[in-house]
Amino acid sequence: MKIFKEEPKIKFINKRYYAFALSALIILSGVYLFFSRGFNMGIDFSGGTLIEVSFKSPTSIAQVRGFLNQVHLGDAQITRIGSENKFFIKTLASLKKMNLAPTAKMEDIEEYEIVAREIRNGMLSAAEAEQTAAGKIDLNNTAEGEIARFLRDRAIGDEDAQESAKLIIGLRKSGSGIINDFAQLERAGVKHRVMSVLRDNTFLSSFTFLSVEFVGPQVGKDLRRKAALACIWALIGMLVYIAFRFKFLYGVSGILTLAHDVLVSLSFVLLFRIEMSLQVVAAILTITGYSINDTIVVFDRLRDNLKIMKKDDLEAILDKSLNQTLSRSIFTSLTVFLTVISLFLFGGEVIRPFAFTMLVGVIAGSYSTIYQSCAWLKVWESYFLKRKKS
Amino acid sequence: MDKSMTWKVGLIIAVIALSIWLLWPLDKKINLGLDLKGGMHLIMEVVTDDALTIQTDMSATQMRGLFKDGSIKYEKIVRKSFNKIEVTGTLLEDERKIKDILDDDFRDWTYTIGGSLISLALRPNIEQQLRDQSVDQALETIRNRVDEFGVAEPTIQKEGMAGDKLLIDLPGIDNPERVKSLIKSTAMLEFRQVISGPFLTEEAAMKDYSGQLPEDLEIVKTNPRRLDKGFYVLKAATVVPGKDLKSARRAQDEYGAPAVGFSFNSQGAAQFERFTAANIGKQLSIVLDDRIESVATIQDVIAGDGIIKGRFTVDEVDDIVLVLRSGALPAPLKYIEERTIGPSLGADSIRKGLAACIGGLLLVVTFMLVYYRAAGINSVLALLLNMLILMGIMAYFKATLSMPGIAGIILSIGMAVDANVLIFERIREELTAGKSPKSAIDAGFKKAFWTIFDANLTTVISAVFLFQFGTGPIKGFAVTLIIGITASMFTAIFVSRVIFDLTYGRRKKLAKISI
Repeated sequence: MKIFKEEPKIKFINKRYYAFALSALIILSGVYLFFSRGFNMGIDFSGGTLIEVSFKSPTSIAQVRGFLNQVHLGDAQITRIGSENKFFIKTLASLKKMNLAPTAKMEDIEEYEIVAREIRNGMLSAAEAEQTAAGKIDLNNTAEGEIARFLRDRAIGDEDAQESAKLIIGLRKSGSGIINDFAQLERAGVKHRVMSVLRDNTFLSSFTFLSVEFVGPQVGKDLRRKAALACIWALIGMLVYIAFRFKFLYGVSGILTLAHDVLVSLSFVLLFRIEMSLQVVAAILTITGYSINDTIVVFDRLRDNLKIMKKDDLEAILDKSLNQTLSRSIFTSLTVFLTVISLFLFGGEVIRPFAFTMLVGVIAGSYSTIYQSCAWLKVWESYFLKRKKS
Repeated sequence: MDKSMTWKVGLIIAVIALSIWLLWPLDKKINLGLDLKGGMHLIMEVVTDDALTIQTDMSATQMRGLFKDGSIKYEKIVRKSFNKIEVTGTLLEDERKIKDILDDDFRDWTYTIGGSLISLALRPNIEQQLRDQSVDQALETIRNRVDEFGVAEPTIQKEGMAGDKLLIDLPGIDNPERVKSLIKSTAMLEFRQVISGPFLTEEAAMKDYSGQLPEDLEIVKTNPRRLDKGFYVLKAATVVPGKDLKSARRAQDEYGAPAVGFSFNSQGAAQFERFTAANIGKQLSIVLDDRIESVATIQDVIAGDGIIKGRFTVDEVDDIVLVLRSGALPAPLKYIEERTIGPSLGADSIRKGLAACIGGLLLVVTFMLVYYRAAGINSVLALLLNMLILMGIMAYFKATLSMPGIAGIILSIGMAVDANVLIFERIREELTAGKSPKSAIDAGFKKAFWTIFDANLTTVISAVFLFQFGTGPIKGFAVTLIIGITASMFTAIFVSRVIFDLTYGRRKKLAKISI
């Protein structure tokens, strides 16, 4: 199968100003968004508390906000995960805001821990809060070792205690993280004697904390600087390498192309309010290394063609090179695009910001190779070299 | 099959066998990261400034002693910051003697003498050395404590550019609170001179100082379980720092009550001896993690070892002995990052990561087969081998597989076949130009090689920067990407070529190839 039966003869360079305009439009919108509302900073960069919570029954964002309002955290950022009853709760809240007095010399992290505990308390229903107060443990939010220890303390043999704890955690692992009722445990094979202890001393709350993360405020500052540095160094690395393998001028236009890809990706991250995290930085750096690939393919061909087509003008040589490598540029990007789209669709919420950024970056990289990399060389020629001649 | 083919095929089979051998059994060889199996991830900062403060305080104390011995007059010797000491009110006639003392006993310090004022600063290289030491010691101490607590396969390592941060990964951890308090207990045991006390309130303790406590003094709380009245005024400087404590054990006092026994190393013993000799009859306090555990009157010169008496239960003595034995932390720790991943989230991530992997693989394989027909089969074989090598190398390096690591593997699938695409497109081009299939294959591989090399190298360069920058899971991503791309140089170029040669090599006349 072939997409292009014959070598295409598309005049790419001719349309360079349309391409520049389109890219400028996207990037300028990105710049506008950056200054008007900025990045949606994840806790990697902003610090704060991030909790992933899963509810047993259908729950709305308003309901979650209601829970949080009870502990004065109503302004936390709540995001629904997919169409499930799972939510991210992100907050920078301090105890002061929650009308709680921080003790002297308390560290930020300890403060966040209390915030997390308060959020948990806010979510417990009246009945569940009562059971917690009565010393019962919540099987949906207690770790394996704790459950085993709890059972041992209530006269269950060591082996039975461990086995039951394992079954309980196994049940949580296999489903949504929540056990609905005791009957489910019975069916999973928890022994009768253990069951009666469980029924009397434990309860199953209607939610579970899937993960709890705290990041101190000083981490973000450090990280922001490091992320920017890593991106800049990677770009310089590309410039040096291409300048070394080709010509300095090629290096410069390669870098302009790359900077374009990075800026376009960031613009889309801004537009879709994707959370700025380490993952997104990783995606940006990967794009830096990857999207230069098809540019190299074109430059390679260009170098050959410059030797063969000495009589033609630059625009014709550039167009010829682009057309000759067009299927390559498209298909190498397509294979990566296919894997990234799979990651985006099936990889789950955790990795989605990464997949999204890569998706945009791969498309932008392919587009910019065709419409920008060579166009910049043409611009260089028409503005500098021609003037030199005349 | 000619000779060169034999060794090429042999090499490929050897690589396959080696990879499988490295990987077998799979569940034992691939370590899952915390984000996949659940657990606790901590990043702590060692507050090295505090370690330096302790050191500087001790130097100031030592200086006071030496000045006194040499009957050098001065007004005050104070610590100005964590690495600076200032001496005021010295006499010009003592300058020679002062210089001798500073040159002999304070080699780690630079000093300037301006009239009656002497300013000392810790030499930067010594300062860095002390900082590094305190981080190393903290790391060792935490490792001891975590081992003692019994966490399976913990990761404890230095982190960050300044090297003052510690990363602690505790997989499958059961009780975050308990482990955290165990790690964080500085177990900073200090022996400090008592100035006055006990007082019921902080205000009462302050009374003698009209609201302004001198810089070298500090009000410290007692541990309410041991002592009744709440506050003492203590010298801020410690007589012997915790790092000079050699060992701790369970002991008994003269009435048979539980007590904590301790021994100093030679340096600590010498210091303690000098101090007790000069302060017989005065009170000494024993401070653990900023709480006074015990106050005793110095009755005799004490050198190598002693006991801490107090209202301890046997369990309390055991706890104190455990943290003291695992080594005191040379400086307090500050938690700056903590992530706890529950078991069900990890299981969910594994399922989804696997689904995305299979989905990506199927999409790419379908594309290659549809678009390149028989040659597509070639690239798919190369791709599968690439995955096998990637996993084998990861197993060999005991690399940890995290969610971003899985993303790296998935991306590698897409990037590895890029090399095949470049080669196949080149072959098609050569065929269109009228070359025979054999020479087209030959030219395709040859001409595409440097392009592939350049393209892959740039990706590796940026992955290296990413590795430098990233933490834990992100590093995992960079590593899988680097391995995947490097392996693709072998599979897409070498293995693919061998498969072509095997398929078409023996036919004398090759009119057409499927590509």
